[in-house]
Amino acid sequence: MPVDQSQSFFSADGLAKHFGGIKAVSELSLSLNRGEIIGLIGPNGSGKTTTINMLAGALRPDNGAITINGLNLAGSAAHAFARSGVARTFQVPRLFRRMSVLENLIVPALSDPHTRRAQAEEKAHEILAFLRLDALAGDYARSLSGGQQKLLELGRALMLDPALILLDEPFAGVHPRLLEQIIEHIKQLNQRGLTIVVVDHNLDAIRSVVRRTAVMAQGRKIADGAAEVVLQDPAVVHAYTGSRKARNG
Amino acid sequence: MMRAATSSGKPAAVWVQAILLLFALLLPLWGGAYWVHVGALLWYYALLASSWALLAGFAGQFSFAHMAFAALGGYTSALIVLHMGISYLPAAIAAGIVLAMVVGALIGFMVLRLSGPYLALFTLAISEVFRMMLMAEEQITRGSLGLQVPRFFSGDSDVPYYYLGLALVAGSLLFMGFLLRTRIGLFLRAIREDEDATRASGVNTTRYKILVFVVTSGIASMAGIYYAHFIGILTPNMLILPEMGIVIAMAVIGGIESLPGAVIGAAIVYLLSEALREYGELRFVLLGLALILVQRFARNGLFPLIERIGRRPAPARADTTAKSTAEKSHAS
Repeated sequence: MPVDQSQSFFSADGLAKHFGGIKAVSELSLSLNRGEIIGLIGPNGSGKTTTINMLAGALRPDNGAITINGLNLAGSAAHAFARSGVARTFQVPRLFRRMSVLENLIVPALSDPHTRRAQAEEKAHEILAFLRLDALAGDYARSLSGGQQKLLELGRALMLDPALILLDEPFAGVHPRLLEQIIEHIKQLNQRGLTIVVVDHNLDAIRSVVRRTAVMAQGRKIADGAAEVVLQDPAVVHAYTGSRKARNG
Repeated sequence: MMRAATSSGKPAAVWVQAILLLFALLLPLWGGAYWVHVGALLWYYALLASSWALLAGFAGQFSFAHMAFAALGGYTSALIVLHMGISYLPAAIAAGIVLAMVVGALIGFMVLRLSGPYLALFTLAISEVFRMMLMAEEQITRGSLGLQVPRFFSGDSDVPYYYLGLALVAGSLLFMGFLLRTRIGLFLRAIREDEDATRASGVNTTRYKILVFVVTSGIASMAGIYYAHFIGILTPNMLILPEMGIVIAMAVIGGIESLPGAVIGAAIVYLLSEALREYGELRFVLLGLALILVQRFARNGLFPLIERIGRRPAPARADTTAKSTAEKSHAS
């Protein structure tokens, strides 16, 4: 599907979040074009997950606006974000562990009151086939391996028919062969027109899927641009290594 | 790999429920006045245990205020009838249920951000505050002396109460079972598993958490009203912690994630308690021991054991093998 990247449909402007005296995120702005795929990276404690939590409505920002298709959702509940087309995964998969794989998938679909159960199940089977999890539909989610749980969480996010999906560390702790599969799925979803934000520490994996990368350090965005350029930025190198020298490769 | 249970394919459980229902229907024909009385009281506990199972077992809201709703319903209905006359009984019953549902909604709203031990402590505090109010407001409730309540039916026989209680249990089980088969049941179980993930799935968890408090408070109040107009006296003792403990033990022993299981648990615990009555307080030690044994050997309660009878065995492969096989198939 050809992707029209000319239109910014999602933007965060001046986001800030403090926990007590600690500034977790300050003055963060991020604009996303439809169909874009962007990496959000930074050292531990740089505010990436706080940012994702705000972009998904799980955390209410102290300041700033989060706009999707011209509608400011800042301060709305997480379910309102989800229903507006913003889906997410979590750093550690948060599945409905004592529910079946199929049930995990139909929950988001049925959150739309107009969707019937049969429709939800049909769609769930399509997504399970896409993720190659269809043989596990009747299994408890808790019985899946770590990598399969990441895939199932991705599938659950897809059940919302999202316009934007926020992936929090999708590559962490995944077997290298399954990692390739997750990367492939992300690329395919982006080719279908889905806008994706990927947060991860695996820079090689990030570079293999994104063209644009934003870098955070100490709660602020310190760089935003083409991945290859940003990763050579002295400020980024300094944030990661404490050194001013650019990283090769 | 572990397969999730489905709602179909439980012939043993269906047969057990059918036999127990038939036994319950026929008991007054040969059971004698004592067992009819015991059975009629058992339905009070069955209503409480099954509705608490819906609240805690399915929705994950571990509340200690359940008995407070039973007392709220019972006292409301009793006070209205005492002050306005027995002809107002239908209105009194409706008022007791509606008031409990409204208070249930308020408490559900207040505990939205609480879970686990914090929710348990908060609801325990609410229950204790209500019990102390009932004790202190003697001019209204007669405190620990107890409030004399007009009975539903004239005559000494407990048979009408027995069948009324049975009908209430059957009706509430059907209603709660229906609720659990809808998307509401799915959302409640998802909330129990992970509320943040449920919200991220587009579900307005606030709405469903309040809803489950409203529904279960309504059923608990119905139990309290039934108890009040059956026993004929209400005291704040119905809110004491051991009473709540017994209801929890009933649900846990029977199967906290099964509505019929909670009813069967209520029957086991209450009948055991009656059978051991001659041992006085020692019977609670024995009941505690039974609870420990069930938790040790049948963590999900006794009813799931019955459900497993006659079900097809799971595919004979170890979890680890299944995982690695599936993972390999993904990676290849």
